[in-house]
Amino acid sequence: MNENEQTRFIDWPGRYYHIDQVLNKPGPRTDENFNAGDAVKDFLRNQCKILVIGAGGLGCEILADLALTGFKDIHVIDMDTIDISNLNRQFLFRQKDVGKSKAIVAAEFVMKRVPGVKVTPYFGKIQDKDESYYMQFHIIICGLDSVEARRWINATLVNMVDEENPESLKPLIDGGTEGFRGQARVILPTVTSCYECSLDLLSKPTAFPICTIANTPRLPEHCIEWASVLEWPHTQGDKKMDTDDPEHIGWLYDTALARAKEFEIEGVTWSLTQGVVKNIIPAIASTNAIIAASCCNEAFKIATSSSSYLDNYFMYIGTDGVYSYTFKHEQREDCPVCGGRSVLFEVDKEWTVNDLIDALLERPDIQVKKPSLAAIRKDGSTVNMYLQGPKSLEEATRPNLEKKVSDFVGDGEGIIVTATSLPLSLDLVIKYI
Amino acid sequence: MMKDSQDIETATTAVGTFRSSAQPDNKTRRYDRQLRLWAASGQNALESARVLVVSASATSTSILKNLVLPGIGHFTILDSEIVSQEDAGNNFFLEGPDSVGKSRAHEAVRLLRELNESVEGIADTSDLADRLTDSSYLASFSLIIAHNLSANLLDALSKLLWSDPSLPPLIIVHSAGFLAEFFIQIHEHTIIDSHTDAAPSLRIDKPFPALLNHAQSLDFDAMDDTDHGHIPYVLILVRALNSWKATHDGQTPKSYAERVEFKKAIIGMKKKADEENFDEAVAQAYRAWTETKVPSDIEALFSDTVLDTLDPVSPPFFHLLAALKTFASQPPYILPLTSTLPDMKADTNSYVHLQKLYKARAEEEKAQFTAILKQSGVLLDPVMVDEFVRNAHGLKIVRGRRWDILGENSETFGKLLLSKETRKETATHLALRALSRLLVKNPNTQEPTKEQLVAYIQNILPDHVELPEEVGVMVGEVARTPTADLPNTAAFLGGLVAQEAIKVITKQYVPVKGVCVVDLIGSWTGILEA
Repeated sequence: MNENEQTRFIDWPGRYYHIDQVLNKPGPRTDENFNAGDAVKDFLRNQCKILVIGAGGLGCEILADLALTGFKDIHVIDMDTIDISNLNRQFLFRQKDVGKSKAIVAAEFVMKRVPGVKVTPYFGKIQDKDESYYMQFHIIICGLDSVEARRWINATLVNMVDEENPESLKPLIDGGTEGFRGQARVILPTVTSCYECSLDLLSKPTAFPICTIANTPRLPEHCIEWASVLEWPHTQGDKKMDTDDPEHIGWLYDTALARAKEFEIEGVTWSLTQGVVKNIIPAIASTNAIIAASCCNEAFKIATSSSSYLDNYFMYIGTDGVYSYTFKHEQREDCPVCGGRSVLFEVDKEWTVNDLIDALLERPDIQVKKPSLAAIRKDGSTVNMYLQGPKSLEEATRPNLEKKVSDFVGDGEGIIVTATSLPLSLDLVIKYI
Repeated sequence: MMKDSQDIETATTAVGTFRSSAQPDNKTRRYDRQLRLWAASGQNALESARVLVVSASATSTSILKNLVLPGIGHFTILDSEIVSQEDAGNNFFLEGPDSVGKSRAHEAVRLLRELNESVEGIADTSDLADRLTDSSYLASFSLIIAHNLSANLLDALSKLLWSDPSLPPLIIVHSAGFLAEFFIQIHEHTIIDSHTDAAPSLRIDKPFPALLNHAQSLDFDAMDDTDHGHIPYVLILVRALNSWKATHDGQTPKSYAERVEFKKAIIGMKKKADEENFDEAVAQAYRAWTETKVPSDIEALFSDTVLDTLDPVSPPFFHLLAALKTFASQPPYILPLTSTLPDMKADTNSYVHLQKLYKARAEEEKAQFTAILKQSGVLLDPVMVDEFVRNAHGLKIVRGRRWDILGENSETFGKLLLSKETRKETATHLALRALSRLLVKNPNTQEPTKEQLVAYIQNILPDHVELPEEVGVMVGEVARTPTADLPNTAAFLGGLVAQEAIKVITKQYVPVKGVCVVDLIGSWTGILEA
């Protein structure tokens, strides 16, 4: 049987009765490029290649939705294995799958349930793959819980855009949920606002000051942080903490509880201990279904041009009624990933390079963890101020941390900030105050 | 059958003994991510719920999936159809061609049950028309959900369920292509834990005696720098306000100028410029002039008509509300204290001490509240009383309306359609309404024309209303996809409707009022209320 016959065999009569109502003719809000009928169906079902990043709460939903809408060549990446706490929402997994690769189990399930769909799993990190890998897809959908991974794929896709080659622009659809809230957005790298443009929309993670944890605990969370941040390294030495290991959680719980008793603080529980050390975010099937469906619906509309698509942000809050807000998030001209413009950065004349790094870490719109800095002089020459690696260069530039910023750049001169974990570079223009 | 119910019972007991002091059991681990939202009380409510879903369409199974996963007690799918080739193409809870020709209800129940062994699921292949004559059958469920039910059956079902408040609430779901809407028909819904964002008062302006005494007894000046830098802001504010009142006829700072002065006075209490606790006190100074009183939305509940006709069989919520009303009618005319103290710059001892004062006072006030309850002769579960008192500032009563109340007043439709704020929602609702009525009239012609749909809409609107452009757009959409149950729309509705069902069942969070309208081309949702 050749491939065409196989497809015909699998596409039983009436299979796409529902979807074809959309694909057979245009509607009032259909793009004029829409190629109703066989052409669009052929593209969707035989040519379009789509990548799903994450096979967790959103990923499971996304894979099922894509398969049912007629995408037949789906790839999925996930580095995680299945945990029992996934089973309240990640509906492609069963108790017997606990411990197995999410990507592989999800792919097998979808292929079994929806005949004729090919799902290719990759059990690993997105960073294992390079541009040539991402270049093969028409659309990429992310259902991730990690900000870092999102920033990485976003920056990678923005960097891939080559103006000479329209195929290099890969629409990125990103979903995220937390409890009864979520958002879905469409990113056309370099054309619309990107993930990095909206970093300041993220709520700041709760951080407890070390002095509170060490000296003046008041909340059960302070006792738990004391156990994990201070006592673990103190008493366990180099042993790495595994927050998935019940024995480790048990130790943290006992240690936190003892401290709480000493200080008469109530409320240390196993569940809270786990929540704090693993930074657990509540998650339910229904919110994931809403956001995944939004993402897949946008993917379907983009792949088929059958209707206009989201421009560019959909936000949902379900705690008090059904509230949603659809709006256009504006591209930031000084976005370190997709903006062309440099950031004017105010620097105290007395600041050392170390002070500048601290100030960079504080900025909600920049958020680089380990920045490397290079000065760009007006004459075009560059000088390394501080490099995070390789080791020899780190050692060579380390003494610079104590030097003043003004030893390297004058007013109006620039500094390039790069990060080891992210493919981005940010141009600062220094203004002394 | 027997075995399933036993499993549910053992499982429920496990959540009942939800151990906070040791490693959680398998069930608690499985539900961990949702227990962090609705806790064991919400989970127990879900596990006691029985849901009936009419039809095993793609939308229906998507809704059920999101109820089975979190562990609803029981579901029944009522569907007499046989799986068609069309069904097999868009429903994840059918097995493609293998399911074709089999009972749609049985296939869907079998595949949905795989998601969660502790959930009971039953396929009922009777006709809805027959079941409509048996209200005890309908009464055995706690919630009924119907997707794309034909207009005449929906009228009959919704009228029957509305006729008797003891019959279950109904969620009505309609969809065609990218457009959809749903509505919750519910008589009365009371919520103790609405998970409100509103923070309860800390009583800075009306300090209870132990709090005032403690604040006044501290000798700020005699403290060393460390202690002074760790006085909780609550104590700083109580003391500063007490001094202020002494020189301002017992009044709190009222004008802008006074408030600035008050803040200056706080800064003047600093020993050193960098004392963060005093900065916190300045930032929280609004608490000193925000009067602690019964919030207006809670005050409004006190005039609820149910309170006038309270009798022993009235729901516990209203007995609790009556007691709360009595409590708040006595000086100092406020709600019972909630013991939750936010975190603040303080050393351990002063914070824990303060926390104990709040806790002791909250217990005293709860005892007063319980005494009022006792006087009225009502005996309620202390856990419920405790939950009620803790959430007194977030109580809600939702009084729903009958399905289609909108449709009975053409003037209302006209107004909603002409108002800019509700135009696209109304246009979408009208298009879906016209579609469902015309599909009944001509069951053989699956595709009503645009002209027929527009004529229907024009006919139900007052004569003077000129149809705005939006009506044409939405009618064009439903005419393009009159019978399409698109997988993405189904999944989206599956999430939304299940979310609302969970809120109705757990009586936590606040369900949507009015018709919730969805347009997945514009990627928006909206609410339509008469």
